[in-house]
Amino acid sequence: MSEEPLISVERLGKKFGKSLKHNMLYGVADLTRDFLGQSRRGATLREGEFWSLEDINFQVRRGECLGIIGPNGAGKSTLLKLLNGIIAPDQGRVEIAHRVGALIEVGAGFHPMLTGRENIFVNGAILGMSKEEIGKKFDAIVDFADIGAFIDSPVKHYSSGMYVRLGFAIAAQVEPDVLLIDEVLAVGDAGFRSKCYNCIGHLASRCAIVFVSHAMAAISRLSTRVLVLDHGRAVFHGQPPEAISCYHRLFDARVQPSRQGLGTARIHSVEFIDASGRKVRSIRQGQPLGVRLAVYSQVAITNVCLDLVFVSLADEVVAECNSQLSGMSIDLMANREIQVLALIDSFSLNAGDYRLSALVLSADMVTHYDWQKDVASLEVCADRVGVAGQQYRAQWTIEERASMDSKEAR
Amino acid sequence: MTLRKVIYTPDGALVTGEGGRLDRLRSVSERFARTSELVWCLFIRDFSGRYRQSILGIAWALILPLATVGVFLLMNRSGLVTLGEVGVPYPVYAMTGLTYWTLFATGVSACASCLINASSMLAKINFTRSALVFSAAAQGGVEFLIRGLLTGAVFVSFGSTPHSLALALLCTLPLFLFTLAVGFILAIVGSLLRDIINALGTLLAGLLILTPILYPVAAGSPLATLNTYNPINYLIGFPRELILYGTASMLAAFLASATFSVLLLLVGWRLFCVAQTRVVERI
Repeated sequence: MSEEPLISVERLGKKFGKSLKHNMLYGVADLTRDFLGQSRRGATLREGEFWSLEDINFQVRRGECLGIIGPNGAGKSTLLKLLNGIIAPDQGRVEIAHRVGALIEVGAGFHPMLTGRENIFVNGAILGMSKEEIGKKFDAIVDFADIGAFIDSPVKHYSSGMYVRLGFAIAAQVEPDVLLIDEVLAVGDAGFRSKCYNCIGHLASRCAIVFVSHAMAAISRLSTRVLVLDHGRAVFHGQPPEAISCYHRLFDARVQPSRQGLGTARIHSVEFIDASGRKVRSIRQGQPLGVRLAVYSQVAITNVCLDLVFVSLADEVVAECNSQLSGMSIDLMANREIQVLALIDSFSLNAGDYRLSALVLSADMVTHYDWQKDVASLEVCADRVGVAGQQYRAQWTIEERASMDSKEAR
Repeated sequence: MTLRKVIYTPDGALVTGEGGRLDRLRSVSERFARTSELVWCLFIRDFSGRYRQSILGIAWALILPLATVGVFLLMNRSGLVTLGEVGVPYPVYAMTGLTYWTLFATGVSACASCLINASSMLAKINFTRSALVFSAAAQGGVEFLIRGLLTGAVFVSFGSTPHSLALALLCTLPLFLFTLAVGFILAIVGSLLRDIINALGTLLAGLLILTPILYPVAAGSPLATLNTYNPINYLIGFPRELILYGTASMLAAFLASATFSVLLLLVGWRLFCVAQTRVVERI
């Protein structure tokens, strides 16, 4: 596309103070300097300040959607605020189309005592729409928000879902050139989420979108490119699958293994291997996965249970591989080490990063000989990220292709 | 048509892509219309939101001023007030002054906290933030009108007639500009240093006592000397004298105070413009 970018960001930087007191004092100092027309000494850090964002560069054109991901505190929300013109940069520049729509914690500015109807007009005016414009779109807003008779109730009586729906419905009517989205899709029920997706899909072709989310499924669906932020710096900028695995790797360094249990039997080593027996740390979704364990015991234990638990980045237990449940009987002898291989035919967890906890338990699974949390991590790669934790690679066949006529004839 | 763009740099925001002077003029007038619509919307939101879920509702807007009138009538009847000759019945004198004072005091206190009260909105939406200050100052204006009507009733009940009412109302404008100016400055400074908002109520009460609003100040007294440098003294005193006596003695000082108000408004406006994003990130 030859059209000029709707957003271009160059060497963008933003710093913040760590304490309220510094914030206040520097605020007054900066204000005085601004007021007297002196230029800001933005490039240097004063005591107690840190770069919340540093040296960020990108461009977004019409029809593109830039996803922004990163751990908490990476600077994602700060970046959106800079793009939205809510806060001013300390370094570099942002050039952005004039009409910006923002779906950032929608519903800000609602007055709890006023009715939904009244709030539509106030909020519309705050978002820059004229009274006639809101009047014309009023029905569409009410329709989208789907709040029925509650339109004439004070919004403080709304459920949180209704509140967000109304806020989104108003914000979505702005018809922007640039749309900034921050995690709004995380709220609301399934019906509303599908509406939001359709609405964003409808806007996507006409505007440039910047989209912040922790939901990799949404990032992989909507984004044409992804920027990965960590500690205020851009660590990757490119295609969604690579960006998502880069994001996952950011967490590897932060994993701290821990160990509990009696210690009489211990897992000495854990490694993942692929179909050809090579040691790996990432596999393609649906490929076979082997987990090789070395277990050493000081005493003899009959019918021991080895348990492998996969935990997602969101700390959810998503899968388990348990020797007892598989019907496997393993005996440990005193002062001997054994090598065990657990082979999973088709490892079908959703694309993402997982940590492994490995346990040595008694036969009744009550006594914990060894419990190693986060002993290894594994990345599952796929071109697209799904919504659910398990991704079955089913055999899909078309059994019948009925024509419209035959359907109607039934 | 070239696309209108905004450029944000450390030195402020700049709008590009506006064609000639005519185009720029149109966009400025468009922005002005939008902003005034927004000011109105915010004002209505706050005004009507404030009186919901109360039995007396909008009547509250009248009750407090009525109570003040009651207090003054009672003081007058009991002969408590022997403050020197003011030429008109004391309640008439005091209520007129207080009506003007309300414009200033209500407006300034609403302005001082308007940014903090809207902090969640400021942190999430980019809109014309000065609209918050204008709509807060307008609260002072409404209070002024309500009290003005009640003061009219007090005039009637004491058989006094106001002189040069239209001119006096026109001469209220500088006081409103002064209120806006102080409002802009306090909105910014108050949201950085919250001390100001905590102290504002006391400061205003003190100022009300020091300024000759509820009683005349004897010429030559230390208080009179102090008030020579108090613009509010002239901004309120001049229109009040016009109403009460039909003539006013302090024309030169009033004009000087009016000019000062305009200059202060320019300073306050500039402060607000350069400081708003700084303040939003610290709110």
